[in-house]
Amino acid sequence: MANGDSPAQVELIIPCRPEFVGVARLAMLGVASRMRFSYDEVEDIRLAVGEACTTSVEWAQRNRRPESTIVLRSEITPDKLIVDIIDTAGSRQDDSGVGGQLDNENLGALLITLLVDEVKVEPRPDGTHVRMVKNAGQP
Amino acid sequence: MNFKLQTRTSENHLPIIGLEGEVDVYTAPQLKQQMIALLEQGAKQVVVDLTNVEYLDSTALGVLIGGLKRLREAEGNLMLICPNPRIRRVFEITGLDKIFDIHNSENEVQPAAGKETA
Repeated sequence: MANGDSPAQVELIIPCRPEFVGVARLAMLGVASRMRFSYDEVEDIRLAVGEACTTSVEWAQRNRRPESTIVLRSEITPDKLIVDIIDTAGSRQDDSGVGGQLDNENLGALLITLLVDEVKVEPRPDGTHVRMVKNAGQP
Repeated sequence: MNFKLQTRTSENHLPIIGLEGEVDVYTAPQLKQQMIALLEQGAKQVVVDLTNVEYLDSTALGVLIGGLKRLREAEGNLMLICPNPRIRRVFEITGLDKIFDIHNSENEVQPAAGKETA
């Protein structure tokens, strides 16, 4: 880390729209690069966060909530990176009877599971909270 | 956002969609549109060149899977050129490397015998 081992938090708020997912990825690249991650692990984090934001964006589109936002909060600790992706994209309960899944959501969820050490998805009153944890290697 | 799409024809007359930059939820719709255009023109074999792609997500994978499915239904195929190990890894960890024909260079891509190329 930049300054010894003191924990730090970085927060970014982006519009929940396709053109801003790249901004979230870029921010994560910067945050993860400051930690003890290998090049591949940094890429994993970038992809996992990109997938989580993409799912938020697709639900915002489906729920017709173009004004919704994504809060991307990274907590940097000596041994792990915790990323919270909190959207206001509305409910992920599908009422169209097709099973509550977007076309690429399974693939996105699979990628996240494969790329980070822990992932938790929780509904919120106005959207969804995804928490992912990536453990850092030994010093 | 850095993204480019250009369609060209290979020496053995296969249409190649060349992509450059980041293929994600913002840019993948352009790939989908181009893929649909080629299918509508009757293409049976299509090549997608990922050589200059530096980021690819599930949205892009979804478009490629959709294209592969439609082409195989028409007894055609979708082939990929992907020499970049970082991009290839996305196919490997999802198991999609077993479904797609992935090549390292344009020279390796050969049209299937007896199949229409366009």
